[in-house]
Amino acid sequence: MNAVERLSRRLRGEAADRPPNFDIMMQFAAHYIGQPLSRYYLDYRVLVQANLAVLNDFQLDIVQAISDPYREAADFGAVIEFPEDGLPVSKTPLLAEPDDLKRLKPPDPAAGRRMSDRLEAIRRFREEVGGEVPIMGWVEGALAEAADLRGVSNLMTDLYDRPEWVEELLEICTEVEIAFARAQVEAGADIIGLGDAVASQIAPRLYERCALPYEQRIFAAVHEAGGLARLHICGNTTKILSHMARSGADIIDIDWMVDMRAAAQAFGQAAVCGNFDPFAVMLQGTPEDVYAATVECMRLGGPRAISAAGCEIPDGTPHENLRAQARALREYGAQQ
Amino acid sequence: MARSSKFVAKLKYGKITTFVSSTRIEVSKRMEAILQSIYDGILEGKAKVVPAKVQEALDAGISPAQILNDGMIRAMAEVGRLYEEGEYFVPEMLIAARAMKEGLAVLRPHLLQADVKPAGKVAAGTVQGDLHDIGKNLVALMLEGAGFEILDLGVDVPAEKFVAAVQEHNVDIVAMSALLTTTMSRMKDTVEALKAAGLRDKVKVMVGGAPVTQSYANEVGADGYAPDASQAVAVAKSLIA
Repeated sequence: MNAVERLSRRLRGEAADRPPNFDIMMQFAAHYIGQPLSRYYLDYRVLVQANLAVLNDFQLDIVQAISDPYREAADFGAVIEFPEDGLPVSKTPLLAEPDDLKRLKPPDPAAGRRMSDRLEAIRRFREEVGGEVPIMGWVEGALAEAADLRGVSNLMTDLYDRPEWVEELLEICTEVEIAFARAQVEAGADIIGLGDAVASQIAPRLYERCALPYEQRIFAAVHEAGGLARLHICGNTTKILSHMARSGADIIDIDWMVDMRAAAQAFGQAAVCGNFDPFAVMLQGTPEDVYAATVECMRLGGPRAISAAGCEIPDGTPHENLRAQARALREYGAQQ
Repeated sequence: MARSSKFVAKLKYGKITTFVSSTRIEVSKRMEAILQSIYDGILEGKAKVVPAKVQEALDAGISPAQILNDGMIRAMAEVGRLYEEGEYFVPEMLIAARAMKEGLAVLRPHLLQADVKPAGKVAAGTVQGDLHDIGKNLVALMLEGAGFEILDLGVDVPAEKFVAAVQEHNVDIVAMSALLTTTMSRMKDTVEALKAAGLRDKVKVMVGGAPVTQSYANEVGADGYAPDASQAVAVAKSLIA
């Protein structure tokens, strides 16, 4: 059974040899092949090579073109710094003043420097493992993108100070993300992940107004293009689980502070993906801790559940911990 | 129980006013109403209303200390409570804190004049390499709302800068924040640098940020840890008690 078959069976709630492993690896993967972080997020060849290395060595069931939040923002024209072995940094938001919105020009995914690099990664994945391993592209949620362009703190107060302005910005972001998602599916992505981290910091009623409708539109476009949709909101999303279920996502990630069983119940037909503590369990725990946490998450998540740490696998995670997760999934699958 | 926050706020506020002289009832009622409007204005994030009401309170002869304690600190404590209970989120906290700061700008010269001392002085910053400052900002705002004086060192703060702040500004607490697992180890660098400078016993250290835990705080040798901005207030108070 290959990883594509494994995922499609699992999504239908049917028996598979084991639950898929969807750990998100970025910094870890770059350093695993001895490359500085900037090479990973600036050069698709390095990103692909790193993904293929961890795919095989840790028995993942996905390859992922996720790298950092600033692909779209950079192509919008934001000034982003790329430290040699650090994460990209945006020191001054592109929309420092509300009036700057008038000058905002939506980038074309194929022409944009950093967005097109992601399309190249997906094409290369297609050549290497297409049809065998699910290939995941990535977009920012409209609210997350708005925060990337405006700065998180500014956007948080904008929600109260200038709601119409925020709506206008969200419209522009949504159109760009839809175009980017479509281009990635056309390039060969099986799944489009959507990151909307900032959505865990706002009240449920604001999520319903400022995040959910835009997630729904982006995911509708993903489905129309023939892809699967994965929603990723890190942080404590306990209060918005039922809203997230209405996003249209096929797979929904939850962070470690969310109850896996409650999430699985709230999500219904969508697969819950998660959710042990990436830091306390994966980075700092023992292989036994990881094994136990992996099995417990699958037990609570039910027949559609997918395994992953609550968020990115931390840099410096002991390899034996990742192998313990793989072993737990094999043995759990064999017992089912 | 479905009580509106405003109702709870009024109920809580109602407990703290004590006026004994029957001849001054009318005046005290007016004072009470002004303080209440400062309190409500902060909870509702009204940055234009609060400074005007603070001025009105000063004009009415309410002492700067009472405006601070019964109007502002009490309101920010309620903001913290509502955040912990999941009624307020980051946007509501930010606009409340902004209203509080606007009011404080009007009040500050009068506090100095009346010689009202801050609860303590806190130097706050994100650690070197970390530019995620929303958590640090929320902590600073909540501490300021609790009567602390804040020395905001900003983002990407190297250990030496924390040390210099302690040396130059008579700081009671160093507060460090990190969002990334890759930068949180810098917290230990600051603690070590404080030791090397012979300042470790003169200052308390508190840490926080998404990946930080109590056990990690112990590991780096911090005196206090808080999981969120609201609880940071209680921790800071306990450290200098």
